[in-house]
Amino acid sequence: MREIVRRAINARPELTAELLRRGLFQPEEKAEFLAGTAERSYGFPTLPLGPVQFATVLAQGDTQLAARVVMRNLMRPNELTWLDRLLRFRKPSEKRDELTRIVERAMEGRKGNARRGH
Amino acid sequence: MPVEATEAPANVLINSVVKNLTTLAARAWAKRWMITFTAPTGVGKTTAVDYAARNLTFEHRVIYCKQITTRYTLLRVLGLAPGEKWTNHGRNWMRASDLYGRAVERIHERPYLLIIDEADRLSLDCFEILRDFWDDARLPMLLVGNEVLTDKLNRQHERLFRRIRVRFQQRPLREADQRKVLEFMGYQVEDEEFTLLWKLVGGSPGFAEALLENANEIAASQGVKRGIEALEGAVRYFPTCRKVV
Repeated sequence: MREIVRRAINARPELTAELLRRGLFQPEEKAEFLAGTAERSYGFPTLPLGPVQFATVLAQGDTQLAARVVMRNLMRPNELTWLDRLLRFRKPSEKRDELTRIVERAMEGRKGNARRGH
Repeated sequence: MPVEATEAPANVLINSVVKNLTTLAARAWAKRWMITFTAPTGVGKTTAVDYAARNLTFEHRVIYCKQITTRYTLLRVLGLAPGEKWTNHGRNWMRASDLYGRAVERIHERPYLLIIDEADRLSLDCFEILRDFWDDARLPMLLVGNEVLTDKLNRQHERLFRRIRVRFQQRPLREADQRKVLEFMGYQVEDEEFTLLWKLVGGSPGFAEALLENANEIAASQGVKRGIEALEGAVRYFPTCRKVV
């Protein structure tokens, strides 16, 4: 199973539903996702998440999944702003710093490698 | 040097954080000191820095650390004129040391106060450059950040740490101040909600705002007005808060 699919399946159900709604997966990933969740009784919540809710579940959840979501351009500018703010409420770590940089770059309209250069 | 009274921008409430930061900025400038201002996340440091940037009456430059990543970007900000490019190839190429020399020269010609927001995010080599600016040009500085800044300076930058004259630690807001800030931000918070908020986030308006916005969205999705249930629902998204409840 691909990493992104595994991470999406293990995320909070409302986040998984929202990512599916926003079209995170490419066709092959979607097939893998459906196969991976076929045996689970998922009970997806039907209501879409608001911008702050979406940013919050991303900020509080899996950092690498959040990075993929940002890099695949699934977030609106106001959601990015909130994500940027909410990431600061958590204890800094190397992974989270990198996500913050990815978010900042996305806010500036840039994508690609966000690793810190020395 | 007292801070000259200027008209406050409409979107800033002049609370203790704003007052302390502007006073320290004035003191750093007047005495040519290096000062650190630390406060927990969400207290309103960046808002205070924004206010200071617009209202200080002496020469100052504000750097928001999100734009700064390496010593080269820091040198670029301090050494180049607005719009000027760093030519690192061709006939007029400039070394980093040239840029540093230019920055020092500029400070000598026209001194200013350097305010760095989120200084806790600076890397080791940036702190070394700041120390060099202090040693070579006596550049007064106000480093603003959260608790990590003090830890970082203590552990990794002893030489810079020794040069800091004032280490100011801002306390979180008191209950009445927190309520005032939330009202100023446009939140009508019931007593029950405020009690829960206070228990969860204490005097951090930024954190309270995040919780209230989440609660607003939960309430809106159910077509009801925000209440204590929606706020409790919002807490689900913050695992660290959940432990407190």
